[in-house]
Amino acid sequence: MSTLGISIFMGFYYWFSRLRLGYTFSSMLLQPVVIGVFVGLITENMVLAMQIGAALQLVYLGVTSTPGGNVPSDPALAGCIAIPLGVLANIEPQVAIAFAIPFGVLGVFVDQLRRTTNAIWVHMADDYATQANTKGIMRCAFIYPALMGWIIRFPVVFAIVYYGVEAVEKLMKIIPEWLMHSFEIMGGILPALGFAITLTVIGKNKLIPFFIIGFFAVAYLGLPTMAVAIIGTCIALLLNLFTLKDEVA
Amino acid sequence: METHKDVILRSESKLTKKDINKSMWIYYAGAELSNSYERLQSLVFCASMTPILKKLYSTDEELSEALKRHLVFFNTEGIFGSIIQGITIAMEEEKSLGEKIDSNAINGIKTGLMGPIAGMGDSIIWAALMPIIISIFLPFANNGSAIGGIMPLILYPLITILISYFLIHNGYTLGKKSVVTLMRTGSMKQIIFTANVIGLIMMGALSASYISLTTPLKFNFSGGTTIVIQEILDTIAPNLLSLATVFIIYGYIKKRGPQYTKILISIVLVSIITSVLGLF
Repeated sequence: MSTLGISIFMGFYYWFSRLRLGYTFSSMLLQPVVIGVFVGLITENMVLAMQIGAALQLVYLGVTSTPGGNVPSDPALAGCIAIPLGVLANIEPQVAIAFAIPFGVLGVFVDQLRRTTNAIWVHMADDYATQANTKGIMRCAFIYPALMGWIIRFPVVFAIVYYGVEAVEKLMKIIPEWLMHSFEIMGGILPALGFAITLTVIGKNKLIPFFIIGFFAVAYLGLPTMAVAIIGTCIALLLNLFTLKDEVA
Repeated sequence: METHKDVILRSESKLTKKDINKSMWIYYAGAELSNSYERLQSLVFCASMTPILKKLYSTDEELSEALKRHLVFFNTEGIFGSIIQGITIAMEEEKSLGEKIDSNAINGIKTGLMGPIAGMGDSIIWAALMPIIISIFLPFANNGSAIGGIMPLILYPLITILISYFLIHNGYTLGKKSVVTLMRTGSMKQIIFTANVIGLIMMGALSASYISLTTPLKFNFSGGTTIVIQEILDTIAPNLLSLATVFIIYGYIKKRGPQYTKILISIVLVSIITSVLGLF
């Protein structure tokens, strides 16, 4: 697909995924690993798209799990921009995620705009309720916020992807070695943020040893992730068996 | 709660399983879509009640009254929230069949339950299930395989929709009792505990595989001996710098709250400075 085609697709993808149509389905569409699949299909470079997606996913792993629906950072905007740009300009995953971070922050403001405009439809629905107009209420809950979302979201991604490829390619040529290396360091550290956030969401201090067990199961024994998942599940279930119900958690 | 009278009332009911499923799908489809700062999920909750209310209330006046009732502030976790939907449907049905239940009672139940239900839902559906599913398939993505994205996209919605389905029907048939059953004997606590343990072990495993931080620092001494810092660190324990990084950020969030933008900027600055100084 041409850069124009890819830009249009990504603009629509960002709009559709952020529409949040389908509660848990859409929340998966927002994840960089899933965005990677679609970018891989349209750019015909699945391997790089998935690798950038995976690298970016690690940064945002804990972000979605923040209660209350307030987005502290937007993995979808970061992914919809950095993955296609990274693939088209053919840059290393770790460098691509360094580019992605500012967009993740920008996404927060975009979402605030959406939630503010959504208040209009509730007021409209109040009037429809008085008239017992159920079709009107359905329109307020689905159609109007969807249209408004397109106006807010599509142009951002479209413009940045369309004009960004060339800019990124030029940037890569003039970038000095020390800055390139700092991107690599950044790419190495950033996943730690994702894990730390997840840790604060699920972890009570008492449970931190389980994190350490998982860490050294890989660091010392080199176990694959699937093996850790299986052993972890068994440990959790056995603990349930042995601990008194009241003492748990 | 399920008295003989309830059973008789139910048998006269106009509601079918299909109506309840329809309500579940509307809520599932739009739980976040029309979310606004002002009343959060109230709009979608009202929308999800429309197939039910249209059947229950025949006059426009009653219908309008019922619709307005469900446009008040409402917000919870959208999967576990299905149980509140189920209970609300049961109450609306009883009301339409002539039981003396006023609007305040229905809204009282809704607002009373939305907090605790959100707490459970957030800790199971979002904090544990989602990162666990993603992390199991992450190695595929890292190797450049589409499976890493396709499997989470299928599994997560599938599992959560099944939970929703179970909860809305459970809420409908058992009414308020269903929540008591759900919370009883700490079984919910156990599920949360189990999910947390699995989640934490997975996060630890991924931290060891995906955070890469090593130092090229070494000191040359006059006697010709060289001390390579990374080698010393590795003899203590492997990947020590990665582990330290997670805990530094974790400690910061615990102390200062979730100030992600600040942390991101700090990481950028640290990376540039340490790159220039040759520390990492």
